Amino acid sequence: MTDGLKRRDFLKVLGASGAGAGVMGCSTEKVERLLPYVVPPEEVTPGVATWYATVCGECEAGCGMWVRTREGRVVKVEGNPEDPVSEGALCSRGHSSLQALYNPDRFTGPMLRQGEQLQPISWEEAEQMLADRLGAAGDYYLFTGSTGATLAGLMSDFAGATGGQVVRYDPLAEAPLREASRIAFGRDVVPWYDLEEARFLVSFGADFLESWLSPVRDGRGFARMSGVDENGGKGRFAFVGSRLSLTGQNADEWLPIQPGSEALVALAMANVVSGGGGNAGPYRDIVAAYTPENVAGVTGVDAESIRELGQLFADGPSLALGPGVAGLHRGATAANVAVAILNSVAGNVGRTVHYDAPQLSAPSAGVAPMEEAIEAMRSGRVGAALVHGSNPAYALPASSGFREAFASVPFKVSFASAMDETAASADLILPDRHFLESWGDASSRPGKWAVQQPAMRPVPHFDSKQTGDVLLSVATRMGEGFGSETFYDHLRTRWADLAVAAGAADAEAFWHETLRTGVAQVGTTPSGSAEALRQPDRGLVFDPPAFDGAGDLHLMVYPSARYGDGALNANRPWLQELPDPVSKITWHSWVEMHPNRAEALGVRNGDVVVLSTEHGSIEAPVWTYPGIREDVIAVPMGGGHTSAGRFADGNGVNALDLLPTESEVLSGGLVHFVTKVDVAPTGRRRPLATIAGSDVQSNRPISPAVALASLGSETGGAEEGEHGPLKELQGVGGFVPVETDGRPEAFPLAGAQHGEYGDEETPRWSMAIDLDKCTGCSACVTACQAENNVAWVGESQVTMGRDMGWIRLERYYETVEASHAGPVDVRFLPMICQHCGNAPCEPVCPVFATYHTPDGINTQVYNRCVGTRYCLNNCPYKVRVYNWYTYTDEEPVREGLGHIPEPLNWQLNPDVTVRENGIMEKCSFCIHRIRKHQDRAAVEGSSIVDGQVVPACQQSCPAEAIVFGNIRDTRSRVALASHGERAYRVLDELINTQPAVTYLKKVTFHEVESGEH
Amino acid sequence: MSTATEVPRGALTHPDIQSLEEVNRDVLRPLGRPGKGWWALLGLCIAGIGLLGYSWSIQIFQGIGVTGLTSPVGWGVYITTFVFWVGIAHSGTLISAILFLFRAPWRQSIYRAAEAMTVFAVMTAGLFPLIHVGRVWHAYWLIPYPNSRFLWPNFRSPLVWDVFAVTTYFTVSAVFFYLGTIPDLAAARDGAIGLRKKLYKVISLGWRGTDREWHHFGKAYIFLAALATPLVLSVHSVVSWDFAVSIVPGWHATIFAPYFVAGAIFSGVAMVITLTVPLRKAFRLEAYLTTKHYDAMAKLCLLTSMIVFYAYLSEFFMAWYSGEEVERAAFWERLFGPYWWATWTMLVCNGMVPVMLWFKRVRYSIPALFAISIFVNIGMWFERYVIIVTSLHHEYEPFAWGVYRPSTVEMGIMVGSFAWFGFWFLLFTRLLPPVAIAELKEVLPTPMRPKATAGSVGQRGER
Repeated sequence: MTDGLKRRDFLKVLGASGAGAGVMGCSTEKVERLLPYVVPPEEVTPGVATWYATVCGECEAGCGMWVRTREGRVVKVEGNPEDPVSEGALCSRGHSSLQALYNPDRFTGPMLRQGEQLQPISWEEAEQMLADRLGAAGDYYLFTGSTGATLAGLMSDFAGATGGQVVRYDPLAEAPLREASRIAFGRDVVPWYDLEEARFLVSFGADFLESWLSPVRDGRGFARMSGVDENGGKGRFAFVGSRLSLTGQNADEWLPIQPGSEALVALAMANVVSGGGGNAGPYRDIVAAYTPENVAGVTGVDAESIRELGQLFADGPSLALGPGVAGLHRGATAANVAVAILNSVAGNVGRTVHYDAPQLSAPSAGVAPMEEAIEAMRSGRVGAALVHGSNPAYALPASSGFREAFASVPFKVSFASAMDETAASADLILPDRHFLESWGDASSRPGKWAVQQPAMRPVPHFDSKQTGDVLLSVATRMGEGFGSETFYDHLRTRWADLAVAAGAADAEAFWHETLRTGVAQVGTTPSGSAEALRQPDRGLVFDPPAFDGAGDLHLMVYPSARYGDGALNANRPWLQELPDPVSKITWHSWVEMHPNRAEALGVRNGDVVVLSTEHGSIEAPVWTYPGIREDVIAVPMGGGHTSAGRFADGNGVNALDLLPTESEVLSGGLVHFVTKVDVAPTGRRRPLATIAGSDVQSNRPISPAVALASLGSETGGAEEGEHGPLKELQGVGGFVPVETDGRPEAFPLAGAQHGEYGDEETPRWSMAIDLDKCTGCSACVTACQAENNVAWVGESQVTMGRDMGWIRLERYYETVEASHAGPVDVRFLPMICQHCGNAPCEPVCPVFATYHTPDGINTQVYNRCVGTRYCLNNCPYKVRVYNWYTYTDEEPVREGLGHIPEPLNWQLNPDVTVRENGIMEKCSFCIHRIRKHQDRAAVEGSSIVDGQVVPACQQSCPAEAIVFGNIRDTRSRVALASHGERAYRVLDELINTQPAVTYLKKVTFHEVESGEH
Repeated sequence: MSTATEVPRGALTHPDIQSLEEVNRDVLRPLGRPGKGWWALLGLCIAGIGLLGYSWSIQIFQGIGVTGLTSPVGWGVYITTFVFWVGIAHSGTLISAILFLFRAPWRQSIYRAAEAMTVFAVMTAGLFPLIHVGRVWHAYWLIPYPNSRFLWPNFRSPLVWDVFAVTTYFTVSAVFFYLGTIPDLAAARDGAIGLRKKLYKVISLGWRGTDREWHHFGKAYIFLAALATPLVLSVHSVVSWDFAVSIVPGWHATIFAPYFVAGAIFSGVAMVITLTVPLRKAFRLEAYLTTKHYDAMAKLCLLTSMIVFYAYLSEFFMAWYSGEEVERAAFWERLFGPYWWATWTMLVCNGMVPVMLWFKRVRYSIPALFAISIFVNIGMWFERYVIIVTSLHHEYEPFAWGVYRPSTVEMGIMVGSFAWFGFWFLLFTRLLPPVAIAELKEVLPTPMRPKATAGSVGQRGER
């Protein structure tokens, strides 16, 4: 490279994108000439990651995100520790957003329908066409889903200026909760819940760990509340609902109520708390009327249990969480009001629930405006329909008639970045950018603002354009300027105002600081103060609502813990293959029913049944679940896509098709729990693609628990489940005790001769997992998959048992009883490679492909592995996963197998080898992260401090259940955790494996039977 | 080498053989032009080998995933069939070496076929470690060879012991087999013409039957027999350690080495019966393979069947007696779990059907023995299947339990392995004397002058 001019050109191009930390990626100009990477851009050092702060666009919660880029490509997303919502954690869906960014089914550019085909056109033509057609259309609708604050504002302004109407539709909108807040306290908000502050929590079917308001933040708050603390204190949690969701499985008590009777339980508890309704204000008479005895019959829960719950609730600080969308029935608003009353009489308002500091800024109307829009489209009064950020053709029940009405609109525009059911019938496609490529902002509660900045240049395979830019350009073409050329400018204008509001002296500095940290505080969060209940301005009926149809089986269609409603995020292999936290099923849909019900029907797991209501019918295999009432049948949302992309189409069924399109009278929310259902076996079978080999522990010391009462006592928990000293048969007869100085720091074993072991100064890397905190949310599973290039394998392979997850989140039922109120005990255990000090896998490998590093990590040398699979056989934990095929090629080796089509391969972590057919692999303790810190410490001459090395699972865990570090450092957090009373090592006492992973027993409120593991 | 003594004809091992000449004629007769049946069988075997090659190439090109193997069952039909063939390989050397050292009078007629079976069975077994590994192109890493990176196999791994055990066994048994055939090859050479004569000339190493040659031959044979004897015990002990050294419940048992050796002899003898009954019929060797020989083999079968059945019972007892939850569950699953049918097949075929061998009439009935030997072959294959698959599918970690179903590719390769074995055995029947002529003559009465005028002339291969 001798020609200086070329180099200057090169720098110019890079300079354009490299001017500021955030500007990287916003430019669309292409580099015309190939130029060698002689002078690297300043912020890109090959081999060193660059991080950007942004905000997750997956759901309303708006978790702060850190985006890890390598050589200009996004390779991983993590929670932003400085963000008050995520506090560094992230859920599976957030992690999987990378697969939407690199989704191979994204539109390659703007498209225009010509006949049956979509033909590419230029952005210029497309925008001009949109401007022309909108100008001529007269009335039009702009359908939208969850969008950032500034974009939502722009859309309203745009629609207002051009004669359109914005309809925001979110099938999981908390409309009843908002309406109940308005009725009870006069505030049309979703209140802010402070789970952490509570000591007793009651959820009335609110699945706050999976699909409710803010799963990551609430998961963290819940774990802090319910995890046992140093003083032996532990918050208690009761779940009231007809089906145990993941949230319900984390409860200490379960009240399996009659479908729809949450309000009665809440009022009866309020009755107990207030001593007959004393402080219930305008609701005094109602509360007085609903005594536990009066509601016992209707709710199906005995009065004594309600009374006990009420007394615990009165002891406070307590918190009741209103019915969520999982059981959104015709009385949902009244039930939410009842819960608000309960919180009010217990004095929780202003303490654990805050109406004056709400969350979720965007207004979430129910389905009612959508119904109007459908009617308008059907009647032909609508000239055009624009769809952005939502997929109503999928997310509305078929009975709504949206598809037909939408198809009848003369000009349909979709801003979808990839094909979906709504875009499938659109005339013009203007592909939006992924949130990791675009500018935006979000405000998930008043005062808290986050900037969404592009973390990379747009993925070059796709000629996409941010919808904000398109709207501004179209507005200009229509003669309605908004004063900004680009959405970036528009955003900056908005943020200039925010800077003023935030009291920042220098708007530019404020902006850059926000780009760096990802969040800004604008104004102050209102302080909590108690609010008084108001006289209701609408008629409230608290009694259980009617269900349509005959028979005794109530149909519950609930949001999936993985997808939510699944309208826009189903085309992601990571999510498809993530075992559902409750059922442990991947890929396909299933029908949940109680084992007794299944027996009565003569079906078992995997038998396909047909569910039918008057609105439609679906077929799916049965999964029997003791955590569901016998009179309830549940089906998750998120399946049954027809044009969402190669990974989603054809998997499962869309259960919304069974539902009527009916809005709840008071709030307008779409009801999901409204009809009864007929179930009939088809006689066919379909093996479940599940990872669960057994639901019970079979009397083995896998996941023992300890009762809270026996914690701290000498004969307490630590002894439970132990078999006494390990003994060995002697050659001359008789048994001798075996030396089991199995403390992880005692590695290597006394007398160990094989391998290279470090001295006492060498760390032994170790992990402690607190099972009292683990909620089973499975965020770690996806985080690990993203970090370690863990392949997805496909449904057929999972059905065979060949799933490749390095973390197997085990779920064992101990006490799950749906017939009456009582304790519930479900054990979660993230099973990873235990990095045994005495590893059974190591001696059996004929070629030393697995061995111990001096710092105690059981490593797998992929290149050396021949694939005898002996290590898999000999691993008692079965954490080794084998590449039965090459799952990482661009094309699948066989139909339906895992593969990584371009550009999904852009996501691969360059620090970790991509594996091929015939190789064993397993958890590596994120060894590349350890080595990175060790290398840096070596270069800097420093040493690694405790907490510096964070594996992907720990990083992502919302519950803070995982601690990692050097166990030989006696002051490290992992050493402290591993020597606690609750510490145990799985199967160690049985087979002397001496694992480096220590688990802390779950703590229960009920007695754990002695001898029970 | 023993010399025949004068015995009454009724007490002879081969009462129907009239003369030494007859031996040469009868035994060398199969070396002539093969019939249609033989060609048909050979064609079938070649087709089977084609199936093996086809199935294996699918597996190599697509991945080991074409098998039904999965987590937690990492070993299945391949290792089952490997152990089965190693077991079959057992009785050949047992009959030729151990019975030789013990001077058992009934070995001469059957040992050639048994030895051939041994060599071919090891050749078949040797395919399976290659078929089984995920990256066969790296399988040579299991062999210690000098390399610039000083990478050695892991000598603690039973799989490396296996490599040594099986290759050693193959080498010794092949040499032993070849050595024993030399005098007979010379006999064949003397009667052969054309290309065959040239071939036998070369491979009989110029054997002339001199005293000096016989002297050296006898010494070499007894040394090799002594060398092979410990291998009979060691090879299957080592194979059993593939399992016993692990911590898998159902595998981790000290009884495994003797249990496997007994099982191997059991299956090997049964396979000798299975192979020699048709051979005897086809080549009209009834005079050589007499019911007395089958009686002796049946007794050996009966003995080993009892040992094996005792081992089964002791495994179940120890699982119960240990009081260990995991161990108990593994054996309960074995009997009543998803693989109950395999376990009961094993118990019936190996423990119950051979009970009939207590009856002398059964032992002397060739069809009955043939049928029982088929049962034993099936039962012994299932024994390995039961040990491997049922133990793996139900281990320590309940959440990781799973079920394995063999795929068509695996079945194709298994069936192909029988074809591969059959191919070699068919070639053997036409190229080598199926009964040891020289040794057989040792146990026949010394020819008397009046009768022997014709018989002892020109028998250069005889002693």
